[in-house]
Order: sequence, then C-alpha cells, then structure tokens
Amino acid sequence: MLEILSSPLFGISLSIVAFRIGIWVNRKLKTPLANPLIIAMLLVVGTLAVFDIPVEAYEEGSSFILMFLSPVTAVLALTIYRQRKTLMSNFFPVLLGTLAGSLAALATIRGSCYLLGLDRTILASLLSKSVTTPVAIALTEQFGGIPALTIASTIITGLAGNLLAPVLPKLFHIKDPVAHGVGIGSCSHALGTSKALEIGEIEGAMSSISISLSAIWTVLLAPLFF
Amino acid sequence: MKYLTQLAIIFGLCLVGDLISSLLPFAFPGSVVSMLLILLLLSTNLMKEQSLGESADFMLCNMTFFFIPPGVSIIRYMDIINSIWWQLLVVNIVSVITCFAAASWTVVLVSRAQKALQRRRHA
Repeated sequence: MLEILSSPLFGISLSIVAFRIGIWVNRKLKTPLANPLIIAMLLVVGTLAVFDIPVEAYEEGSSFILMFLSPVTAVLALTIYRQRKTLMSNFFPVLLGTLAGSLAALATIRGSCYLLGLDRTILASLLSKSVTTPVAIALTEQFGGIPALTIASTIITGLAGNLLAPVLPKLFHIKDPVAHGVGIGSCSHALGTSKALEIGEIEGAMSSISISLSAIWTVLLAPLFF
Repeated sequence: MKYLTQLAIIFGLCLVGDLISSLLPFAFPGSVVSMLLILLLLSTNLMKEQSLGESADFMLCNMTFFFIPPGVSIIRYMDIINSIWWQLLVVNIVSVITCFAAASWTVVLVSRAQKALQRRRHA
C-alpha cells in the first residue's frame, strides 16, 4: 500500500482532485470565502491525516508541482506585456502605489509585533513576509530571523490575500482595476496574483508587476524598520 | 512538439534568470529576474508572444493550482507556529489589509492628481 502512495503520481493526482472539488464547492456556494485553494489545501491535509499518510509521501509528487512555481511566476510577464498600454499610462501611480504598500506593510508588521509583545527574532522573521518567498528569506537571514517562520508567514499572507482579494475593494471603495491589482500584488505576491488573474486581465497584469516592484521597495526599506 | 518547444523556451529562460540572479551582488529571486527578462524580450520584439503560447497560458489559467503544495507545507512548520499561532495570524491578516489599502488608495490618488495636472496644462 505505502509503495503505491510514495509514487509521485499520488501527490499530483491528490492535488488535482482536491483542486477540482475546491472549484466545484466554490461555484456551488458562490461566495469568495469558499476559496478553492484553501478548500483544496484542507482536503489534502485532511486526506493525509485520515489515512495516516506521511507528508513525505505526498511531497514525492507535490515537488513536481512546486518545480513549476518559478516558470509560472516568469510567464506572468505575458500578462504584463498584454496590458503594457495600461501600465505605461499608469506608470507613476503603480510605482508610488507599490511604495506606499510596502511602507504600510513594514510599519504594520513592526507596530503589531510590538503591541503583541513578539520578540526581535520574530520581528526579523516577519518583516519581509509580504514579498515573494526568495526575497523574504534573504532578508530574514540578513536580520537574523528564523527562515521557516518567514516561509510559513509568506504562505499565510498569500492565502489571506487570495481569500480577501475579491472583498477588499468593496471595503475600501476601490473601483479602479489598476488600483485593485496593485493592491493585491503589493500585499500578497504571486499567491494573491493568481486570484487577481481570475478577477480580470488588468487586475492580473498590475498585480504581476507589483510583485517585482514591491520586492525592490521592501529590500530597500526593510532595514529602516528593524 | 509545439508545446514541448514552448516549455523548453520557458524553462530555458527560467534557467537564465536563475543564472543572472546568482551573479547579482544582492539577493533577488531568479523567477522575478526571468519575469523582467521575458518582459524585456517581448517589448523589444526579440521574442514573440507565440513562442510562449499555449503552454504559458495553460500555466496562467491554472496558476492557483501550483500553490497547493506550498499551502500544504505549512503543516511542516506547525511546531514553530503552535506557540504563537494567533499572533501570527493577526500580524499577517492586519498587514495584508493595511498594505492593500495604502497601495490601492495611493494609485487612486496619484492618478487623480495626474489627471488634474493634465487638465490644467490643457486649459
């Protein structure tokens, strides 16, 4: 039994089936809170727990999916290219929007770590968590934080962005798709961007370019908040 | 064969991105370097959209799917998260909301200011 489970095909199939169910539930319930990604994730974790399957067996297959994350991020260039006119006519709003987003994220993390009484090592691990994982880990190492905590926080942040992306514009009365996209990309990197692509072409493109811009701003500004 | 060629081009450009990233004097991810590199190649007409074609669109259409494994991997970090899980959730969710609000409202305000400036110039 375990031999079949440790085939890479197991992890891949389980992920696809879980994702299909996630999309199906989302369509049935018609609410953004029934997020397909979070449902799929819980289904995978639940299946592993119920049948007492080790995570390592799942990772045999999931590592193949993981390998695609870098190419998927790279081809986001295509969505930006297709919306290059929108980007050029909104160059300064996008540039300054990602700057404001990065500053707000850094200030909030610093402030809330202080209010919640979290120590400096935790602050060092969380400060960079709004940006794409490789940059976040590099900054954590520079500040002397715990990389594993950064990875977990980057994923939690991305999931929160993915979940809240359809709801936040209503809360803050944002009607402009450019503003919506920049907001998603700044606060929740590629994970939120995958939701922005589902919302619209302009949202997806602006969210994509914001991944790289907010990463640059955060690298430059994070030391000021530590 | 067409799809394989497209995949080879995408993977090849990712490898170039990783190479450039490893040569940079500061930490910047290869995937983002590749994204900017592809954008540069497309804008300068050195590469056509069709070179990435259906394979790229397949990845983009199903992008969310590729985040299931990192999502599941959170359970690996449970022993670190356990003691501070609610604080972690508060910091992460609050900063997502403030960051979104600051970024999107800045875009709205700056583009309004830009339009006002243009109108004044034309008047």
